[in-house]
Amino acid sequence: MAEDKNIKKSPMSRREFLRKCGSALAGGSILATGGVLATKAKGSSSDLFWQIDPTMCTQCGRCETECVLPVSAVKCFHANKVCGYCDLCGGYYRPSVKDLNTAAENLMCPTGAITRKFVEEPYFEYTIDENLCNGCGKCVKGCTSFGNGSLFLQIQQDLCLNCNECKISRVCVSGAIQRVPYEAAYKLKDHA
Amino acid sequence: MKKILVFLTLVLSQLQAWAEARFPKPDFTSGYQYPDIQHPVPYEQFWNGLDVVLLVAMMSVVAWATHKKQSRKAIFGVSVFSVLYFGFYRNGCVCSLGSVQNVVLALTDHTYHLPLYVLLIFLLPVIFTFLFGRVFCAGVCPLGALQELVNVKNFRINKAVTSALSIIPWIYLAFAMLYAATRSQFIICRLDPFIGIFRLGGDIGLITFGVILLLISVFVGRPFCQFLCPYGALLSVFGSVSVKKMEVTHKGCIDCKLCHHCCPVDALRPPYANQVKEDRLKGVKRLLMYFIMLPLLTLAGALFVGSNSQALSRAHKDVHLYDLIQLQEANPDMDPILEVTAFNEMGRTMEELEAQVQEVQQKFRIYGYLAGALIGFVLGFKLIRLSVKRTRKTYEIDHAACVACGKCFDYCPQNLKKNQ
Repeated sequence: MAEDKNIKKSPMSRREFLRKCGSALAGGSILATGGVLATKAKGSSSDLFWQIDPTMCTQCGRCETECVLPVSAVKCFHANKVCGYCDLCGGYYRPSVKDLNTAAENLMCPTGAITRKFVEEPYFEYTIDENLCNGCGKCVKGCTSFGNGSLFLQIQQDLCLNCNECKISRVCVSGAIQRVPYEAAYKLKDHA
Repeated sequence: MKKILVFLTLVLSQLQAWAEARFPKPDFTSGYQYPDIQHPVPYEQFWNGLDVVLLVAMMSVVAWATHKKQSRKAIFGVSVFSVLYFGFYRNGCVCSLGSVQNVVLALTDHTYHLPLYVLLIFLLPVIFTFLFGRVFCAGVCPLGALQELVNVKNFRINKAVTSALSIIPWIYLAFAMLYAATRSQFIICRLDPFIGIFRLGGDIGLITFGVILLLISVFVGRPFCQFLCPYGALLSVFGSVSVKKMEVTHKGCIDCKLCHHCCPVDALRPPYANQVKEDRLKGVKRLLMYFIMLPLLTLAGALFVGSNSQALSRAHKDVHLYDLIQLQEANPDMDPILEVTAFNEMGRTMEELEAQVQEVQQKFRIYGYLAGALIGFVLGFKLIRLSVKRTRKTYEIDHAACVACGKCFDYCPQNLKKNQ
């Protein structure tokens, strides 16, 4: 009986000791990690939101298909103050256009998201309907190669799910999709 | 609406001549004004703050329900709320599972700014687990809660199989940390099987995997939590040494086995009283051997992953780009690769890229050794834990495995007695 007791008692106290050591180690590691990270953590000024750097974008077309949303959160934005208001617009008409009319075969946008309004001779104002835009970037490519580059792709923040790792950023060919702080929620072309 | 929209009015300032402008700025004579374009700005701060408050509140409720009240009802309520709010309403980003990667990245890369909110999402469940056991897993985590809610019956899996499978979360965690530290990918986010279900759309392969996991969890409790979750692996360490430990009943076990049968994660370990005792010397010898094997396994793991770091580094964008350029140069006839075209258009030089690739590979080597060492160490440690002499006299909770779901409370006849 006495021997039995000894066998039972000795491993229990050792285990208790090891468990206490484990608790102390775990608690210590929480404090250490928390302490180190607390000095690094930034409040609202930290980079939390995804944006496309318009100067790096090559309009490869992956934004349209790679977003986790059924219709991409990437939309075409229009910087009016950069636009030339041309009649023959590289973003509105296809390169081979013969007649400048709104027949579907003449227009660049596959979803008809770009509309234009006559301002005065010879200027037209172009507007993007974000509900129709699918972020394919065809008009952006047209405007960049024949135009002032006033059309650009950007992530619309109210649609973006703000994934921890943006799925488009993983396949972006030029690394144009980056995290930005709240203050820079939009990287625009006309107020930089 | 997911976010409350606040409209940002752009200040119409005098525009400088656009450097690229091919066509001159129009001179309007009809008094045309530039339209005032507004872009909806994010309003995440409010939601992030609410998430943290709810996280603390829900974990407190579960801690109260498991330690004081000993009732599953409150935990079930938290599970339903978590699936609806954190899952379907907030669409699951950022979650505690994924925040591991942000934290590792912040620790290894000083250029990355860790948002305070992500730090809290990571640290609060760890602190609660250290204090009260895995109360986060119980029902606050939408992934665990979703599996819990579809669970009907628990078929016991062989202990040898579950022990072998329980190493997978650690391998997953080690690789997730390796890829996060090298800024390659966030694989925990990428391979999340339930995010597609919460968002009602996404990668079809992952949704299928998630549905299969849910079908399995009808018959085997929480397959993702038990055999995949990397954050659960981390929490199990803190759970096993928690300050306050959960008990099935405060009134004393009567060895009725009912809690063992109802436990979805096989965390209730039976007493060893009636088992055939192993020869003491044999047991001690095996334990000693495993203690010698522990550093050897750690070293072997480190060498194995470290020596394969070159191949692993292909997951990094720059290394992948370098490979693509090599491929394009080797086959000039093939269709131009988009990445290579973009690389040339941007005017980056090959020397610059090579330097970057070497830097990335160096990082992969260092962190590869560390990740491999972690896997080896965990393997050795698990072997030691399996061969430690058991002294249980009644049914006891394995606090590393227990997810505090509270199912055992309702099954324990001692608890019923208390209520009457």
